[in-house]
Amino acid sequence: MNDVFNITLIYATIRSATPILFAALCATVTQQADILNIGTEGIMLTSAFVAVLTSFTTGSWLLAIVLAIVSGIAIALIMAVANIKYNAHICAAGIAVNMFALAITKFGLKQFLGTAGTFTSPEIKEIPRIHIAALDNIPILNDIFNNWCVTEVFGIVMVVILWFLLFKTVWGLRVRCVGRLPMAAETAGISVRRMKYEVMIISGVLGGLAGAHLSLGYSQMFADNITNGRGFMGVAAMNFGGMNPIFVWLGTLIFGFIDSVGARLQAYGLPSQFILMLPYFFTITILVLAMWRKGRLSEKAKSAL
Amino acid sequence: MAAKDDFIVEMSDIDKSFPAVHAVDGGQFTLRKGEIHSLIGENGAGKSTMMKMLYGLYRPDGGVIKINGKVMENLTPSISISEGIGMVHQEFMLVNDLTVLENVILGFEPKKGVKIDFEESRSKINHYVETYHMDIQPDKRIDQISVGEAQRVEIIKTLYRGANVLILDEPTAVLTPQECTKFFEILQELRNDGKSIVFISHKLNEVMDISDRITVMRNGKYIATVNKEDTNTTQLAKMMVGREVFLSIEKEKGNIGAPILELKDIWTSGEKELSKIRGVSFDVCAGEIVGIAGVDGNGQSELIEAIAGLRKVEKGQVILDGQDITNYTPLQARQAGLTHIPEDRNLRGLNRALSIEENLVAWRFEEKPYAKGINRNKKEIRKFAERLIEKFDIRPADPTVITQSLSGGNAQKIVVAREVDADGKLLIASQPSRGVDIGAIESIRKILNTVKKEGKGILLVSADLEEVLALSDRIVVMYEGKIMGIVDSEDATTDNVGLLMLGERPDDEEKEVS
Amino acid sequence: MTEKKNNRYVTLLLTLLLSMVVGAIFMFALGFKPFEAYVQLFKGAFLGKVNLGTTLQKFVPVLLTGVGFAVASKVGCFNAGIEGELYLGAITAAWAGHYLPKMPAPIHILICLVLAMIVGALWAAIPAILKVKWDVNEICVCILSTYIAKYFTSWLCNGPLSAKTGMPQTPAVHENIMLTQIMKPSQANTGLFLAVIIVVAVIWLLYRSTLGYKFLTVGLNSSHADYMGINSKKVVIQGMMLSGALGGIAGTIEVLGVYGYFLDNFSLNIANDGMLSSMIVWNDIRLVPLMSFFVAALKSGALSMERFAGVPRSIVDTITAIFIIFATMETLFNLKKKKKKEKVTTVSSEEGGKK
Repeated sequence: MNDVFNITLIYATIRSATPILFAALCATVTQQADILNIGTEGIMLTSAFVAVLTSFTTGSWLLAIVLAIVSGIAIALIMAVANIKYNAHICAAGIAVNMFALAITKFGLKQFLGTAGTFTSPEIKEIPRIHIAALDNIPILNDIFNNWCVTEVFGIVMVVILWFLLFKTVWGLRVRCVGRLPMAAETAGISVRRMKYEVMIISGVLGGLAGAHLSLGYSQMFADNITNGRGFMGVAAMNFGGMNPIFVWLGTLIFGFIDSVGARLQAYGLPSQFILMLPYFFTITILVLAMWRKGRLSEKAKSAL
Repeated sequence: MAAKDDFIVEMSDIDKSFPAVHAVDGGQFTLRKGEIHSLIGENGAGKSTMMKMLYGLYRPDGGVIKINGKVMENLTPSISISEGIGMVHQEFMLVNDLTVLENVILGFEPKKGVKIDFEESRSKINHYVETYHMDIQPDKRIDQISVGEAQRVEIIKTLYRGANVLILDEPTAVLTPQECTKFFEILQELRNDGKSIVFISHKLNEVMDISDRITVMRNGKYIATVNKEDTNTTQLAKMMVGREVFLSIEKEKGNIGAPILELKDIWTSGEKELSKIRGVSFDVCAGEIVGIAGVDGNGQSELIEAIAGLRKVEKGQVILDGQDITNYTPLQARQAGLTHIPEDRNLRGLNRALSIEENLVAWRFEEKPYAKGINRNKKEIRKFAERLIEKFDIRPADPTVITQSLSGGNAQKIVVAREVDADGKLLIASQPSRGVDIGAIESIRKILNTVKKEGKGILLVSADLEEVLALSDRIVVMYEGKIMGIVDSEDATTDNVGLLMLGERPDDEEKEVS
Repeated sequence: MTEKKNNRYVTLLLTLLLSMVVGAIFMFALGFKPFEAYVQLFKGAFLGKVNLGTTLQKFVPVLLTGVGFAVASKVGCFNAGIEGELYLGAITAAWAGHYLPKMPAPIHILICLVLAMIVGALWAAIPAILKVKWDVNEICVCILSTYIAKYFTSWLCNGPLSAKTGMPQTPAVHENIMLTQIMKPSQANTGLFLAVIIVVAVIWLLYRSTLGYKFLTVGLNSSHADYMGINSKKVVIQGMMLSGALGGIAGTIEVLGVYGYFLDNFSLNIANDGMLSSMIVWNDIRLVPLMSFFVAALKSGALSMERFAGVPRSIVDTITAIFIIFATMETLFNLKKKKKKEKVTTVSSEEGGKK
């Protein structure tokens, strides 16, 4: 089993976890305001496409990230306007933008990159990796810490930033209040609508990063439905972490770990379909365990015995 | 521009409609500096709506609101707050997961850099706590404090926001008689400090106790504003209802028979720490009304749910007419003879999106003749509904009307009709007259007495102590999920029951009440 | 009530027009001719036996999955997993159609249908049970489990159930149980009638039966239902199972009517179109047939639009997605005219009559 569980598994875990991490943070920030962000998948998919398109045409990964974020915000705003202004059920709006993202990226792939299915090209400028020359000759540290993608580092930074924002600042207090008892916020002179828009915009930023990282950091390509349910895995991780960015991050590491182990098991002759199935199966399992634990805790808290 | 009469608030010709109702129609209200002004009226008279417009939560369709002499257009809560208006809502606006401190500072958080400055908040709050002797624990979470304390938190919240005008929406509903006295002292202190207070209520005795002036509303309309010295409760009641009121029904002692409901050491979970039921036992006999008195949130709702099969009984036994019905499903409990008017008719009692007939047939829709196999028989359902509508005088007398559009009284009558017609052995009546007009209260109370005379047991829960006293043969007083005492109706007074509701036995009366 | 109904049609029409206009602007901006595209779309969907037949053939699964989605929505669930139920139903039917011994066709077809329904229902029961027991979001579970269903069927038709022809498919079902083609050379088949009968039965069930009443009352207010003695958790599971069964039927008709075997990844998100048709009409089950026919027409017309107007097919999906985004916005076209109230001039204090 040495080729499955070895030191490189640590980085492999981080690598697989990061796209889901951004998605999970995208769902976390909205959930704090009591908005179930089913549209995470759609935000991510759209921005993944925009990132590849921009990077391919302009050759700038930074511009690609910026435009991916802009497109993420745009999709999040569609949902926000539908839900906040026009009373759409948030799940319906989420499902709708997911379909929209699926369709428009397919269309965009054909229209702007002239292909169907998958697009990959050496001209796609990927997000750079941080090479620390000093680590080159230190065996273990080199395997773990060298050559991280910029966004992989930033993902962890983002966890801390979001945690601080939610639990230490005025804005965070207000968001949490809006999510738990909107009338309390309203009667405190806080505009619930405005807060919800703000939260959605931030989720667009995070979802945009998720997409950009997926297509320019994690891989260097775009394919139809490249997200493959990662947005929903993010939602699951959000539930696992109980809306706390730190625990959410731990949740995504579990997903990353399973994914990496699964990928390495392929060498042992398991049918590829089962390997591919693994992350989905474990995501559901973890989601159920998280909710089961939550239910148990609240039951215990309420019990009179 | 300061108005000649020194009015701090003037509201004139206010008009407000909601999709189903014309809530306020020509509303008038003025408030002087340093007065306690009561706003009274029946349920649905438009009192709260008026004040929510002043607070900027609703926008009036017509009329003028002046604060400090300025005409206010497009009021929002934040503008109102900055003009010194504060409101304590009937349903507290406190976030359960957050601490008392966080709740108080919400919206007006002192900052240190980008962080919240909790130290400064704490000292600001302590100032009000000390000035008005209102004890609160800033670091507790809201779900760990009692209702009384939550109310103090709400008042400090408005003061912290710099309110000069305090609007209190039915504040005494959650207090015991003794707590009320204490509470009124705080109000007077606030008035003496130059604050103005709007006191929304329908309890006339309290209103006469505390007010300087009184404004009466009825059916959304302004009726009159009077000075306290120029009026009395009888006149106020007449203005409120529009006719003479005789609410007190002669209490007839029924033929009390064998126990119908026996509760033996019931333990059940609670939504809050203080509402967990821990070891409750008592009986309800045939031909008897047993009333549960207690401040809301002391476990009454949980106890009822446990009896009715809606909450798990963790320990103990529920026995209905000799049959152990502990942890029966709601349907099994019904079949065993338990009927139940739930406390919240909009949540449980009715399916508001469905018609009167569907609501009336709601628990027997699978029985013959209302269904043949799985095929529903709409004709029989219609006939059944028409019979009940006539018997219980439900208006409009059209079985197809969606219940959402009905008045509180008629909606409640549907629930009462369905449960009374089910002809069980025990009727649980939880808050039967909450949010209904006087006419409906009268008829609902009459119905309860008829049911009692038929030899059934009734378990009555009401947050309104007067109602419990008026109807019950025996009174069970609950406090923090336990029974403080059981009092016979002959011996029961607001005083001794009120003390029990506070968690104190009458014999240690000398103790300071807080 | 009728007024409300009429409003719905008007809103639907306005939403449709709005999305077509947005689509047209979109196409125009990219240098296509929107009018020509729409004409080709229409022609491709309805003109000619083959085109109309293709529309009808596509209509069947969209209708069944759409009604399935609407049924689940009646009990307050978003069954985003009908695609998975469709796949599992399809492979079940393909298995039963090939591996069971020869028997009279009607019985054999019925067995295929029933088995597929059971499999679909059981698969849909999983998210429902998780939802009612532990409050697990059903959309997440549905979407994730659909991936599992897809990979699982993919493994089956590549491995244990493979026809071993080099293609990822199962062996063909018995010739005699294939549903009859009705508009040759298109692939429309008698599954259409089967689907219509089933949909009528479902509508009856929802609006005339005690089960339908339970669905309705639980979906509208589950605490009321629980208090009235209806076990809302059980009803939610039943609703999802019925929904899943409809997905299974859709899969069966695809196998017995169109392909004759199970082909890996054959559906290409048919259930998405069903879901979309249902959501556009606010899950009003009586309007779903209309909308799913419309969506099926768009799908089948898209091909000739691409061929003759040069507009990529996927633009149709984009426009339908725009359509659905608009449709979810409940108050986009608020048709209720704001009541203009005359200012009440006289306030008679003693006459507090009701409004």
